[in-house]
Amino acid sequence: MSAPRTPAAAQTPLAPLPRREEVAEAARGQGLGLLAALPYHYPRALVRAHGFHAMEVWAPPSTPADSGARHFQAYACPIVVKGAAFLLDGGFGRVDAVLVPHGCDALQGLGSVLRDFVDGRPPVLTLYPPRGRRAVDARYLRAEFARLGDDLGALSGRRPNADDWAAAFAAEDAADAALARLYAHRGRLAISDREFYEVVRAREYLLPDQFIEAVAALPPGTPRRGGVGIVLSGIVADPLELLDVLHEAGAHVAADDLGSGSRRLLPAPASTAAPADPIGRCVEAFLAGPPDPTRGDPIAARAEHLLALVRTSGSRGVLVLDPTFCEPEQFYLPGLRAALGAEDIPLLFVEHESSGTLDARLRGRVEAFVETLTTQGVAS
Amino acid sequence: MSRRVPLPFPRVHPALPDHVDVPGLDDVLGALPRSASEVVPKARSALAYDVVGRSVLRVQRLRDERRMATAAPRPDSPMNPPLRTLAGVKELMSGHYLKGRYAPGARPVAWVTSGAPIEALVALGFFLVYPENHAALCGSRRMSGELCQAAEEEGYGKDLCSYVRTDLGSIATGRTPVGTLPPPDLLVCCTNICQTVKYWYEILAAHFDVPLVTIDTPFLYDEVAPYQVAYVRDQIRTELVPAAEKTAGRRLRPRALHDTLVEAKQACELWCAVLDRSRHHPAPLTAFDGFLLMGPVVNMRGRRETNDYYRRVLSELDGRVAAGTGAIRDERHRVLWDNLPVWYRLSALSRRLAALGINVVASNYTYAWGELAPLIDPDDPWESMAMTYLHPILNRSTGHKLAAMREMIDGFGVDGVILHSDRSCKPYSLGQIDQRDLIVDRVGVPALLLEADHNDPRVWSEEQNVGRIEAFAEMMAAAG
Repeated sequence: MSAPRTPAAAQTPLAPLPRREEVAEAARGQGLGLLAALPYHYPRALVRAHGFHAMEVWAPPSTPADSGARHFQAYACPIVVKGAAFLLDGGFGRVDAVLVPHGCDALQGLGSVLRDFVDGRPPVLTLYPPRGRRAVDARYLRAEFARLGDDLGALSGRRPNADDWAAAFAAEDAADAALARLYAHRGRLAISDREFYEVVRAREYLLPDQFIEAVAALPPGTPRRGGVGIVLSGIVADPLELLDVLHEAGAHVAADDLGSGSRRLLPAPASTAAPADPIGRCVEAFLAGPPDPTRGDPIAARAEHLLALVRTSGSRGVLVLDPTFCEPEQFYLPGLRAALGAEDIPLLFVEHESSGTLDARLRGRVEAFVETLTTQGVAS
Repeated sequence: MSRRVPLPFPRVHPALPDHVDVPGLDDVLGALPRSASEVVPKARSALAYDVVGRSVLRVQRLRDERRMATAAPRPDSPMNPPLRTLAGVKELMSGHYLKGRYAPGARPVAWVTSGAPIEALVALGFFLVYPENHAALCGSRRMSGELCQAAEEEGYGKDLCSYVRTDLGSIATGRTPVGTLPPPDLLVCCTNICQTVKYWYEILAAHFDVPLVTIDTPFLYDEVAPYQVAYVRDQIRTELVPAAEKTAGRRLRPRALHDTLVEAKQACELWCAVLDRSRHHPAPLTAFDGFLLMGPVVNMRGRRETNDYYRRVLSELDGRVAAGTGAIRDERHRVLWDNLPVWYRLSALSRRLAALGINVVASNYTYAWGELAPLIDPDDPWESMAMTYLHPILNRSTGHKLAAMREMIDGFGVDGVILHSDRSCKPYSLGQIDQRDLIVDRVGVPALLLEADHNDPRVWSEEQNVGRIEAFAEMMAAAG
């Protein structure tokens, strides 16, 4: 039996977010170059300080995969195949450079193939984040960020001075703070889960000011959601239709552990003053992020983090939503399932093809999962 | 599989002094028991392996060699008689796993990835287990399918690396072709072959509740940068060595490290020399022989018996070259193999190709354990180990791999390339579509993308792949 809930679709829609074309135009108006950034960890302030605005590419659902499939086998993840297709089918022509962070072996392949085998494209930059958080990793990351800054600076002609860094941190810190506020206040906003994640994901392409404005425009009030709470984990909340299915089945997302979501919530800086060591600050923030499979964190650290999310949000289960063939995510599943199971917290893993819609089988599994959680809640 | 809760975050190791050179009595007497608790395991190990096991395996090897030498050639086989020295691989590898069986308590055990910097571990007396090699062994013994299935029943997805699934299945079921694997005291994973190993070893660390040292190697999209070398060097010095010393209960002696590096460098050089013999026409060995012969250089690099063995192999190959004896009877086409082998179809595939007059004369996979020999400098251990372990083909760009393949096409006189599109090895496989197209278009050599998986036989489609191989042979014949 489902818990009472407010219909998601019955409310006034939110003001539309700026379209990507408008954002690109606005960024160029500010003298910024456009950087197509693949998922999902990179130092935004460093990118901005060197004269670029990052607009992210996450397997655009409306993009046909054909162009990407001409370079990658069928067992490559849709973020790689569709990301490549998007860039090859016109995306390259709209940006000044591409950044491929090394989040996994598949993104490694994407970065390497674009650099080595695709002609007539803008520069493709790479970033290799360390798979650890040791002192030795921090020293390396400092040098890697400095190298990325040099590469960006060589393209934009900008060598940031102290004022440039201060302005970049001020802008990106404010947007990060807005994202953190959005998460902190999610239970006090009169929006649905779908609307919530539309705004969260707008951080992937909006200019910092635009994002802050979008967050500020959200109406306070009782959330338009109900039913049992779940933690949504995985790489990306895609398709957003899943959130409607959850709502209709009688559940809501009480917290998330998403690559496109809270895994990118970094601790707020201790001081808002301009840092004397800007790259050092980027490193510090980067390494302070929550446990994350793409960083190779230990299973126990991830399990503890998920358990903490479940407890603090009052959730009854964890739904892991991933694109197909996502190795970093899949390796953790048995360990996470065992750790959560020991606390009687069920975990459901579902894969999707990034086609923009949810197939009936997947919908059925999600509905059954919610029903189980609801029944458990009644029984207990 | 039982799981223990692992330590929550990166482990802190004691800082390493700048100069690691504290020879002590225990170094001199390292082979002897250092405590009462070691007496029985060491004595048992010495008796079982050094006295009995080695002798038995030696007799078996001699018997195998004699049988191979006296066996009448099979008229229906497209292959010439196998290398007699292949019997030595069995002796060495069986001895290795036998030694491992008696290692617990007698010597520290480390499980390591195939690209891990092992020289310090060897110098400290560790017994090394290579789970990848073990998984390959399971594959060639046709056990990997059921072991993959067992891992899947534990919740590991079928899209994950089949080496991982095989080994996790082996741990879950206790089934292994080597009798028993000694549990690790230390885990060492190096990301220079893939990121998969990081996840794999995190699972092992949680399961066995032992320390894990990660040597993270930035992927080289371009030429290496000094800070990348420094990163790997510092991890070896300040993470790996202290953890290994702590586990071994002794200090690393620079002389021992130097000597190990000398042996390791020589092993890599000898291994390259073995593979290079296939530049001759007809080639005296196939890449499939190489897949079998590589066991010692992977598992026992840095040990004298490994080098002695490869000298014997070279001697036999030189005899074949002098006699003009090829590995297959009718070498009409010479082919380069890209990627891991298909372990569970090794001999069947070898025979099928040979029947079509195809000798797979080279593989960029087997060369991975030899081509870096020039980078190893025993007089500059830390820097040279960092350089060596940053440069495996799998840690370099797709463009570099293509360039390496082009060199091999020229150097080995190859007239076709088979690119094994290995479903569960993405770092080796992504990029192959472009590589194939460029080999065909710019080099003018036929190339086949063969869909399979290195260790999961359920992915293999016999009818489809045989048909494609036959069509490929026709293309090579047409290309002249």
